[in-house]
Amino acid sequence: MSDKEPIIVAFVCNWCTFTAADLAGTSRLVYPQNVRLIRMMCTGMVDPKYVIKALLQGADAVLISGCHPGDCHYINGNYKARRRVKLLKEILPRFGFDERRLKLTWIGASEGNEFAEIIKEMVAEVKTLGPSPVKEQMVL
Amino acid sequence: MKRIINYHVHPVILSKKGRYMKKKIGSCLVVGAGISGIRSALDLAELGYQVTLIDKEPNLGGTLMQLDYQFPSDHCGMCKMLPLVERDKASQYCLRKGVFHENIDIMLSTELVALDGEPGKFQVTLRQKSRFVDPERCIGCGECSRVCPVEVPDGFNAGLTLRKAIYLPVPHNIPNTYTVDVTSCTQCGECEKICPSGAIDFGVEARSRFRILVVDDELVVRDSLKEWLEDDGFHVEMAESGTEALDMLAKDSFHLMLLDIKMPGVDGVEVLKRAKDLYPELTVVMMTAYATVETAVEAMKIGAHDYVMKPFAPDTPVPVVAQLYQDILRTGERLMDVGAVILSAGFDSFQPDEDNNIFGYGVSPNVVTSIEFERIISGTGPNQGKILRPGDGKEVRKIAWLQCVGSRDMQEDADFCSSVCCMFAIKEALLAKERSDNQADATIFYMDMRTFGKDFQRYRDRAEKDYGVRFVRCRVHTVSPADEEGNLKIVYVDQSGETHEEIFDLVVLSTGQRPPVGTEKLAEMCGVELNPWGFCKLQDFSLSRTSREGILVSGSFSGLCDISDSVIQASSASLWASRLIHSKGGGLAEETETKEAQFRDVGSEPPQVFLALCTCGGTIGEAVDLNALTESFKNTESVAEVQVIERICTQEGWDDLQEAMRNSNANRVLIAACNPYVYAKKVRELGERIGLNPSLIDVVDIWTPAFPGRDLNGNQLTREISATVAMGIARLKGMDPCPIPTARIIQKALVVGGGIAGMTAALSIAHHGFDVTLVEQAEELGGNLHYLYRTLEGYSPQELLEDAVLKVEDHPNINVYKNTKVIGSEGQVGRFVTAVERADGSVETLEHGVTVLATGGQEAKTAEYAYGESGAILTQHELEKGLQDGTLDPTKFRTVAMIQCVGSREEPRNYCSRVCCSSTLKNSLYMKEKNPDLQVCVFYRDMMSYGFIETYYTKARNAGREITIPADVLVLGTGIVPGNYKELADQFGVDFNEDGFFQEAESKWRPVDFIKEGIFMCGIAHSPRSITESIASAEASAQRALRILNNERLAAGSIVAEVRHSLCVLCERCIAACPYHARRYDKAEDKIVVDELMCQGCGSCAAVCLNSASVLRGYRDQQVFEVIDAALEGLG
Repeated sequence: MSDKEPIIVAFVCNWCTFTAADLAGTSRLVYPQNVRLIRMMCTGMVDPKYVIKALLQGADAVLISGCHPGDCHYINGNYKARRRVKLLKEILPRFGFDERRLKLTWIGASEGNEFAEIIKEMVAEVKTLGPSPVKEQMVL
Repeated sequence: MKRIINYHVHPVILSKKGRYMKKKIGSCLVVGAGISGIRSALDLAELGYQVTLIDKEPNLGGTLMQLDYQFPSDHCGMCKMLPLVERDKASQYCLRKGVFHENIDIMLSTELVALDGEPGKFQVTLRQKSRFVDPERCIGCGECSRVCPVEVPDGFNAGLTLRKAIYLPVPHNIPNTYTVDVTSCTQCGECEKICPSGAIDFGVEARSRFRILVVDDELVVRDSLKEWLEDDGFHVEMAESGTEALDMLAKDSFHLMLLDIKMPGVDGVEVLKRAKDLYPELTVVMMTAYATVETAVEAMKIGAHDYVMKPFAPDTPVPVVAQLYQDILRTGERLMDVGAVILSAGFDSFQPDEDNNIFGYGVSPNVVTSIEFERIISGTGPNQGKILRPGDGKEVRKIAWLQCVGSRDMQEDADFCSSVCCMFAIKEALLAKERSDNQADATIFYMDMRTFGKDFQRYRDRAEKDYGVRFVRCRVHTVSPADEEGNLKIVYVDQSGETHEEIFDLVVLSTGQRPPVGTEKLAEMCGVELNPWGFCKLQDFSLSRTSREGILVSGSFSGLCDISDSVIQASSASLWASRLIHSKGGGLAEETETKEAQFRDVGSEPPQVFLALCTCGGTIGEAVDLNALTESFKNTESVAEVQVIERICTQEGWDDLQEAMRNSNANRVLIAACNPYVYAKKVRELGERIGLNPSLIDVVDIWTPAFPGRDLNGNQLTREISATVAMGIARLKGMDPCPIPTARIIQKALVVGGGIAGMTAALSIAHHGFDVTLVEQAEELGGNLHYLYRTLEGYSPQELLEDAVLKVEDHPNINVYKNTKVIGSEGQVGRFVTAVERADGSVETLEHGVTVLATGGQEAKTAEYAYGESGAILTQHELEKGLQDGTLDPTKFRTVAMIQCVGSREEPRNYCSRVCCSSTLKNSLYMKEKNPDLQVCVFYRDMMSYGFIETYYTKARNAGREITIPADVLVLGTGIVPGNYKELADQFGVDFNEDGFFQEAESKWRPVDFIKEGIFMCGIAHSPRSITESIASAEASAQRALRILNNERLAAGSIVAEVRHSLCVLCERCIAACPYHARRYDKAEDKIVVDELMCQGCGSCAAVCLNSASVLRGYRDQQVFEVIDAALEGLG
């Protein structure tokens, strides 16, 4: 399994990070493959069960990314996401996942470079963690 | 309470029953697509007018495109300007990418060239320049830019980086059409060859039809010009004298004449005169040596298009001719009738290297302007946001900001304050601190720190106390190189007169405003006057009306203002445009039939997806096996059909798609192509054409993964594309085809507060034919105007008051309730019920669709400085009143002392009241006028004479002052405190800030809205402001209210929340989570109710719901799960 590139499921908000991801693409910034962008209206609507579902389904890591604090299109959705992620990180080990497999970042619309950087960083980190335990089990 | 939300039954049968929607007729032109232009355009579009939004640049957004961060959030937030109701009529993505609204027609690279007619019916001529790239065909792939051999400084990054001659003007803009900079393009044709969609066309073949006449007495000039121009494909003829040229013009027609000025016999200027008389269409470019430049400039005044200097190399005249060719033969002109014109042409920045250049800009690379610094800290800037010096790429550790560069400077002929630079500098300093993890020192050198806006003072204090930004009040003498390494030495004189020197890594100049190039021409064309500083002149007590009816102005075109003020001004301008069009019969006079599209009812059908795969000009086809991909998708569940289509982005491709769709039974369409943003408008059109609800059509990007540089092999790429398409299909399958909910609107307004703001708001709404109830708790209308007798500019507030009261009381649509108090209010946008108590104690309930709160404020009381202990200690209001009624006689005083900021700009009232400095200046100047020997001594912290008020400050200083104590009279500027806010906030369910002023939804982008839709604020209830500024904000709030009142029914967006009542346990978590007050518990029905108009579709409620009873349309759990499954399909 180790020869495979890690798969990252990214829940991005429609306003900031989706625009940034698009800018990263159109600016031809080089970032690793295998990022599955799921556009949500706001990070505040990313239900914890979506994160757990993605991890159980075999994603090596999950990224949640939206507008910077104070900048949410929906006033305070990103704060809700922040609280939720903090709790999620506490319960992820009970599902057998290292909490580092979940990351929350703020990437503004003009920060295409930041998006590419975050993806690179995550891929590097996930590689040190090894493939998702779900995959291991499935192989067994 | 009765359930009053109704749903349209699709297909729409309302028209059959004979129900009509009122639709505005009339159209409007907005010149300049910066922030204020976009606001004005969106305002009018939301009211139902057809708007043409033009900009001379090839991109939208104006200056704002270069600014990634705005105070106070230090981020963006522009998207908050998008419509909140009828959302699906506009794009629902980042506004920095672009703006799309059904009623807005955007024309870029376009200028207004003529304006005739009269208010209400202007005929305008628009000229759109071709940029060699067909926007219909360009797919924004950037191949052209890659192969272009030319590199020039990039204007977007303020010259800090290089770009190619064919380039994207703004990297994140949509349409992301590449554009050719003709002046630097060598016309090598490389880009034309490589373009995969054939979008670039220099029109070389057609050049042979472009006839040029070269007139020069020197053979060598004639010959070389002919050779160069013929090499580039043009048709050239020559004449050696003026007479011969005129003969040739008589025989043959020419497009262009290149004309030498100094010739024996008939000289160039004479030829020009005669030629322009006979052939006014002929374009003439003068050729001149240095000696005759002045003549050339004169020649331009009599009709020459341009001039080129001799001697020249081929790279000067040829691009000029190429551009002219482009302008003459390939420029589209469009004539149209518009009711009103809004000028929002913005501003130009002062160029610090002009004239004295005491700061060494352009001499040292480490002296930059504030805009350049803005680019340095931007993610799309030269160093991806790292703060590195332009000179040597060194990390910056010590930065200085110099204020008032090109502002408040008599030597630069700038006796005005540019209003925004102080906050701009503080923001940049804060960002520098943050970016460098507080490693960088930030120092701001200033004269007065003008933090006059709402919450600005606290922002400044935070910068100083929490972040350690250093503020130095001084006069900067010079900036000079300190050493070989590029550091800079600043010499400054502090307040005590002592001279200091300090070394910095980087110096940022806070450059001021200038009127944009072409202002005079534009003003002359539109018949509007300019003010003494060259900006557009405004009428008394208005921030948007020019000297000509029907021509309005918004944003910095009438003087620099920040985003919040621009947005208010823009809405004020659109209100006046609407008032005019309405009064000329273009308003609601004509009722037109609804043109709602007929959509198929596919709710009961199983999902059948039509998948269109784009080849992206062969890129995809080359990289992956399209046949195999098609086959695999065909076998996917729910996919009815798969078609490979060549370049869907082109018109041909789009036609192919529509043709392929014609016989299809599919009830979902997925387009796998390039940039999904580009398709927003097309998707709607396609939906209407094939009768499918556009929310059942989606576009996914399969092209970005195929970019060169990502180096994916065929298998990897196939996997990426498969996953993307599978996710798209999964999402579409679960898409809810139910119609967009609408709600009834009570088309009446309630305005609370009868000061000038309330009266203006009431009049503005009533003028559009809607009923308004104006509630005032005092006996008389007028509020603070009763205490004001003159303004700094010399206008009369008393005349204004009299006029406004007369108009309000006489207006048939306005009901004035004096001596009346609000005692309670409930309801949602479109349907409020408010109870008021009349003077006689009777209670009345009012039904209304919108509410405007204009409850004002008053002069603060004080006990400081022995106020109250002596009759000689007054407030500014008392002084003004005394001067007016004669109880205070300035001729009897020798000295008057004034103290500013009494109890203001320090906790607990830590805000600037904005108007006290103006009052002080006004009263000082008035008293000096009555008694020139009077000494007026003003004790101040920062003189807040922003904008053109500065000129009165200069005048007051010149009138002389001396510090003499004791004084005959002591006058205290105590500032403004808000009116009765707590009770009202509670009654209407709205918020206020820590100082008691109402809390707007967003300080910059939605300055007069409350978060709760349908309630608006204006005047001093928002924050302290002058009469004129209060009026502008009242007009803006009326404009915001009208966009709701203007409809009998209003639609929400397609993405709204709903409740599955069978699962709901009434825990009310969703009510707490909803940021828009869109949910409430309905006691009578015993269930949670969603107000669809107020719901903005953020999905917070769905995420907090424990039972999944709260769901967001378009993002149902099952749908998201399937998308996740699809994303991870085939793993393991």
